[in-house]
Amino acid sequence: MLPAIGEFALWISLPIALWGAVMAFLGGRWGRGDLILSAERSVHAVFVLLAVASAGLIAAFLADRFDYWYVSNYSSRNLETYFKVSGLWAGQRGSLLFWALNLGFFSSLAVWMNRKRNRDLMPWVSGVLLVVIAFFIGITLFITPPFERLPFTPQDGRGLNPQLQNYWMTIHPPTLYLGFTAFTIPFAFAIASLLSGRLDARWIEVTRKWILTSWFFLTLGIVFGMRWAYEELGWGGYWFWDPVENASLLPWIVATAFLHSVMIQESRGMLKIWNMALVCLTFIMTIFATFLTRSGLIESVHSFALSLDIAYAFLAFMGVTFAVSAVLIIWRLPQLRSDRQFESFLSRESAFLLNNLVLLGSGFAVLWGTMFPLITEGLTGSKVAVGPPFFNQVNIPIGLMLLALMGIGPVIAWRRASARNLKKNFLIPTGVGLGTGVLLFALGVRHTYALLTFAIGAFVLWIIVVEFWKGTKARARIENENLAIALSHLVKRNRRRWGGYIVHVGVVVMFMGFAGAAFDREVRQSMVPGESVSIASAFGHTYTLTYEGLSTARGQNMWQWIALMRVERDGQSLGTMTTERRFYEAPPQPMTEVGIRSTAFEDLYVILSTLDEQVGMGNDPQFQRATFQVMVNPLVPWIWYGGLVIAIGTLIAMWPGGPIPAQRAGGTGTQASRRDEDDAPGKGPSSGGDSGPKGTRTAPEPVGTPAGVS
Amino acid sequence: MNRDRRFFAGLVGVAAIVTWLIWTGITDTMVYYLTPTELYERVYERADEASERMERGVKVSGDVLPGSLVAHTDELLHQFVVVDPYNRDVQLTVHFRHPLPDTFTDEAEVVMEGRYLGDGIFEATEVLTKCGSRYEALPEDMDDRDSGYGSEDPYAGVDGGDAYGSYGAGASYGSDDSYATTGGI
Repeated sequence: MLPAIGEFALWISLPIALWGAVMAFLGGRWGRGDLILSAERSVHAVFVLLAVASAGLIAAFLADRFDYWYVSNYSSRNLETYFKVSGLWAGQRGSLLFWALNLGFFSSLAVWMNRKRNRDLMPWVSGVLLVVIAFFIGITLFITPPFERLPFTPQDGRGLNPQLQNYWMTIHPPTLYLGFTAFTIPFAFAIASLLSGRLDARWIEVTRKWILTSWFFLTLGIVFGMRWAYEELGWGGYWFWDPVENASLLPWIVATAFLHSVMIQESRGMLKIWNMALVCLTFIMTIFATFLTRSGLIESVHSFALSLDIAYAFLAFMGVTFAVSAVLIIWRLPQLRSDRQFESFLSRESAFLLNNLVLLGSGFAVLWGTMFPLITEGLTGSKVAVGPPFFNQVNIPIGLMLLALMGIGPVIAWRRASARNLKKNFLIPTGVGLGTGVLLFALGVRHTYALLTFAIGAFVLWIIVVEFWKGTKARARIENENLAIALSHLVKRNRRRWGGYIVHVGVVVMFMGFAGAAFDREVRQSMVPGESVSIASAFGHTYTLTYEGLSTARGQNMWQWIALMRVERDGQSLGTMTTERRFYEAPPQPMTEVGIRSTAFEDLYVILSTLDEQVGMGNDPQFQRATFQVMVNPLVPWIWYGGLVIAIGTLIAMWPGGPIPAQRAGGTGTQASRRDEDDAPGKGPSSGGDSGPKGTRTAPEPVGTPAGVS
Repeated sequence: MNRDRRFFAGLVGVAAIVTWLIWTGITDTMVYYLTPTELYERVYERADEASERMERGVKVSGDVLPGSLVAHTDELLHQFVVVDPYNRDVQLTVHFRHPLPDTFTDEAEVVMEGRYLGDGIFEATEVLTKCGSRYEALPEDMDDRDSGYGSEDPYAGVDGGDAYGSYGAGASYGSDDSYATTGGI
């Protein structure tokens, strides 16, 4: 019953979305409040209908309704309930519905939060959102129907791919989707701003929290995916520059560029055209990511199966989006002039701009590498491939440039940096960076990129810590507070700035984690119980693993061969660890379940790679022969710590309420909030100035709650 | 004007650096992506032209010959035969010294990266499987080194009935009997 209701809900959501879109644009054009109201109600209605449709699909999973094609392909009777619920986004058909649901949710939220504000923009916002939702509902209904029935009812489903039967896999796709879809809101506001001709920075102020929300989920989604790959794919790495990975990285890169360039527009009134272009580009990239992973187009080069209908639909949608965005921006060019000009290369504006260009350059390189095989085959007919070596070779230098900019940006002066400013702010940090490099070199580190990462990382960390210290100390003195309270007030006063610095700390830690890969060690050995293998880590420890024996265990829909290992480090016992091979019943497939023993500085990573043919045929140890691959991966845990720090920093920056009105309440407030900044050239960065009194009026941030969503 | 000049100078500078990085990246790392037949052609007929890139390695795709997988546990070696899907007489014996991907079966379609050693032997440094039916679920994810890629649904164009039962294959190197045989309808 429920699945049928769900399917019905999905069908009627499409006409309602289309109706709402038409009403929104007509209402906006004619200034008709009744039509606009109808459009906004349509947004809410579409969200509710999509929720019902999704609930219907989940109900089909929970009820083992294998007469549904989608359920029969992604579930089985003995699948754990948890994974049945996540079946909603386990496969293509469900995940496109899930995409639409997320977008419906955010749209509904945005419309609701702006029910009394930004009324001049909202008709256009609702219209754009409904068009995008309608596109996804259309794809869901006509190309990848999740409720398609089979002409018969199979006894059991084919089961969920064992690699997806993993905790991270259940939270990674939704997180990423939340990030993708949340970005539709800033895009809709930008288009609304272009359509209505209200081209001040208001669309940016209104959507600031949305941008951060989207970025927050995108980042978490990517990190979760890395974590999943690391635990589940069992090859000792977390990133392979695979097209689907790149697809999720591209919108993140452009969104990161956008996140930085909007600050220049807010504080200096510059880069308006650029920001419009970036917000459209980011949105197109979120669609492109979905397209790339959904259509199989890139894989088709490697003769993987291709879904042409989806490819055409997405291409058409991206083409239309691109054309409309471009035409609107060109139409509004005269009103998008900068209020100010760049004054010097040595300025914070330039650092931000350089950050943008470098990020986009990196994005272009990733895009090019991903599409290269397709382009080459199209042009020359010969098939070639580029892989991780290409992406690493291009992106490591770019990443290091970005890393350095994270140190330069925060302390270089606005407008024009004087020699004094440069000397005062960069002399010591540069020394710290060089010192770190020399120290590591003396300790025997010879890997150039790793040395650079740590040296530049130390440079950035030093700058950020000093910024925090100076701000806190100044505040403690002026307000007569103790340091802890001063620090917390300092951060509260300008959450975005200090939260952003914390994000940068996280990125540095994460980059150091990446650099650890230069020192991975690996050994493979075939053993019978009682034998042992030794491996030296980059930190000089020697791990010795003794194979104690194999046992079997039965899980809900698989059974396991578990190898028990006794672990010693430098002769000292660390207890035991296990590593498994699993054999799933539906679908019948083996799975490697790696054993990971984590410390703060390195992971011991053990793969049970091959079991002997005769395994389990008797008690003779010879029948328990197995091949192990043992790796010591230094600093991998830092990637996860860095991810956590990034998440905390982003949350601080996007936390609703509080400081922004105080900061923007007018001249005195602006002064007060900035007096802790030693580099503020007086009037320079006061943000109220550019958008005028209107900017001040809209400042009490209406888009406050999305953080609560998380 | 001044601003524009600077803006474009920056733009051109960064673009030049990125272009240079991409260019050198591609020329340094690009490998041919061939079928076994094309590999033999390159090796024996057009050796000069291709030799430099062949030195770097090459990617080869093909079908694993059912029943050809042999695991030499003591030497940590997996050996199997890959055939050209369009001409099954063209065969390549593959040596691979790393763990095989979980999705590897002896009926899988594989993409290998490695070097041709001569005498029909290919030393693979990497083996990916293109496991058609099981990975539709993965695409949106960061994955998939060993899992192959997104793919068309296996039932496309199939009317109901015969769809069931064809899981591709089981694992030939598994221990449990039910996995030691291949699937099939």
